Amino acid sequence: MLTRTLSRFAVGVGVCGVLSLAAATHVFAQVYPPYGPDIPVITNTEPASGAYNEDRAREPAPNPWNEESIWNMKVEGFNDNQARPIYQPLVVNQNGREILYLGNLAGTALNPLTGAQESNGTSIVDVTNVKKPKFLFHIPGPAPIAGSFAAAGAQMARVCGGNTLPNASANGTAGHWYLLRAFGNAGADESHQIWDVTEPSSPKFVTTVLSHLSNTHKSWWECDTGIAYLVAGSKADGWQQSGSTQHLYIYDLSNPAKPVFIRQFGLVGQQPTAPVATAQPCTTAPSDTCYEGTTNPPAGIHGPISMGTAVDRVYMPYGVSAEGVIQIDDRLKLINGCHTSGPGGNPNASRNCANSPTQADLLWPQVSWITMNPENGGHSSMPIFNVPIPEEQTNYLNGQPQSKSLLFVSSEGTANNCFGQAPHEAWILDISSETTPWPIATLNVPQFPGNFCGKGARFGAHAVTEAIYPPYYGKIISVSWFNAGVRVWDIRDPKNPKPVAYYIQAPNANTESSCSTINGATNCFNATMNDYVEYDDRGYIYAADRAGTGVTILSLTGEALQAILPPSE
Amino acid sequence: MNRTKIAVLCCVTAFVAANAGVPASTGLGAGTDAVNERKLAQITPGKSTKAQVKALLGTPWRVVQFNDCGEAMPGQSDETWDYRGRDAGGTFRVHIEFDDGGVAHLIAKVPDIVTGNKGTTATIAPNETMASMRMP
Repeated sequence: MLTRTLSRFAVGVGVCGVLSLAAATHVFAQVYPPYGPDIPVITNTEPASGAYNEDRAREPAPNPWNEESIWNMKVEGFNDNQARPIYQPLVVNQNGREILYLGNLAGTALNPLTGAQESNGTSIVDVTNVKKPKFLFHIPGPAPIAGSFAAAGAQMARVCGGNTLPNASANGTAGHWYLLRAFGNAGADESHQIWDVTEPSSPKFVTTVLSHLSNTHKSWWECDTGIAYLVAGSKADGWQQSGSTQHLYIYDLSNPAKPVFIRQFGLVGQQPTAPVATAQPCTTAPSDTCYEGTTNPPAGIHGPISMGTAVDRVYMPYGVSAEGVIQIDDRLKLINGCHTSGPGGNPNASRNCANSPTQADLLWPQVSWITMNPENGGHSSMPIFNVPIPEEQTNYLNGQPQSKSLLFVSSEGTANNCFGQAPHEAWILDISSETTPWPIATLNVPQFPGNFCGKGARFGAHAVTEAIYPPYYGKIISVSWFNAGVRVWDIRDPKNPKPVAYYIQAPNANTESSCSTINGATNCFNATMNDYVEYDDRGYIYAADRAGTGVTILSLTGEALQAILPPSE
Repeated sequence: MNRTKIAVLCCVTAFVAANAGVPASTGLGAGTDAVNERKLAQITPGKSTKAQVKALLGTPWRVVQFNDCGEAMPGQSDETWDYRGRDAGGTFRVHIEFDDGGVAHLIAKVPDIVTGNKGTTATIAPNETMASMRMP
């Protein structure tokens, strides 16, 4: 009843309404992964025909390249992030304060709060009042090595509350908040770090989890268990990958000050002992020395997503932009598979399972894997469970609606001006039968209208939104699409997803130019690149720009807003 | 109002007008005076080093390096130095890309505001190796 009342209110007053609707779930949002174990339940509010045949306005063509383009969204606020290029935004409700963490790409910029040029690291912005975001602090990233920034940046951020982490009293974490971040991308000092961000305006360094890394990237941290899936590579660990040299280091960070190593993990064919010179593909020549996917050794992992103890599955995308594989793993077997007993334990685990596993060790937690078209890679793999499809019944005689569990997968477009690459898109996989994942729809943004390949910078999919709470869960999905901006689809009919909103930020004085040579002429373009789009637990949407243009806070309007409300309202 | 007050008021007014529309964090001022056509003409794509550019223009307003888990295309992850400036056409950025050897291989003076579907011409080194394409 409360929801229906709030929904009516939302219809009546638009944005304020939906934010009020979200506010009703506000205090509960952090029970969902990665903060807690619960999975949102999607209530079917559609009539028998579902969302299949709803009348919709046509998607409008974007404005010229140097103007903002916006459809069914509204700009609520903005912060320039000190002109630093953003990789990942993350909004955390810290005891009622909404704190935005921004993982930045490499470089330097002036920090007006200190008056110093600082190597790009982690930005912390209070967005409690979205109309007036307040930049609180910048934790610098690593300094350049031998004058080069190739190893710098701090792209990734995860935050857990000490009260949520296990054994809070015993570990002394109660009342604290902790930031897990990547620190650099290569070199002896590159690592994953923990900071105490209880007071976001004065973070305190806690410890280095793991150092001497390369290619640190998109980690995941289960706050209610403390298990962290750290993405990185190392020249010394012997693991083998093509493309991005990344695999998993799994840790227990339930006491952030005292990290406990669990194991390393990757795709079959990446383990240090894999015979890369002679291995054959597992698809056509299965053996105990084969490799999974289309390239040998398989391409590295980008960013795992664990659905925690409730689902007990971890979804792993490999390849980033090419030679992709999507893998579903049994979480308990993954965490405990190098033990010979106990829940998830493998009686036949090898002696070196934790650091140098056998193929059998890697297969123990694997539930399934699906190979992508090699011109695409696995960048994101975000599951949404039990999406009702009222227009399709499980059985005509009982009239029960279909309910599908879905995996949203994206491939990263990495070329400026689409140079030399096929289009990178996103897809919806049906994982209701998790041993046989199957694509059922494509989320696509065409090159025209907009002529995005001529606009400068990257065009194509990048990342699927990962922080999805009610009332958006199972209703809409967002994918960052670089120079085509934030893209939102209505997924209530997931076999026929409909574009329902977009936002392309206009370039500003901080927008880093992208330069390219076409037909012998070299030009630089002021093109924004939406790198990630994430939600907060109030329903605001954060569009983070990779080209230094800042972070824009948005809300839904029009038909995008209608998509999350019961149609009867 | 005496002449001193008028002079101060004029200066303040001129400063405010000159900075209208410029985001606070652009750092306009740091290095701005150093950026002029005469100095830019001394930067030679294919020859000028980071040290030479810094000696000429000072510390850059911003450095960007789009390193992203090894996924950048050739040339895309080059280190870029940005300087800010202003001339009769308005505010602009000087965009200088360096190769792995620390030599400038592309330089462009890019206006902050470019209308329509347009880019800005850049000057590149004669032996440019950045990704290029031909369209029909």
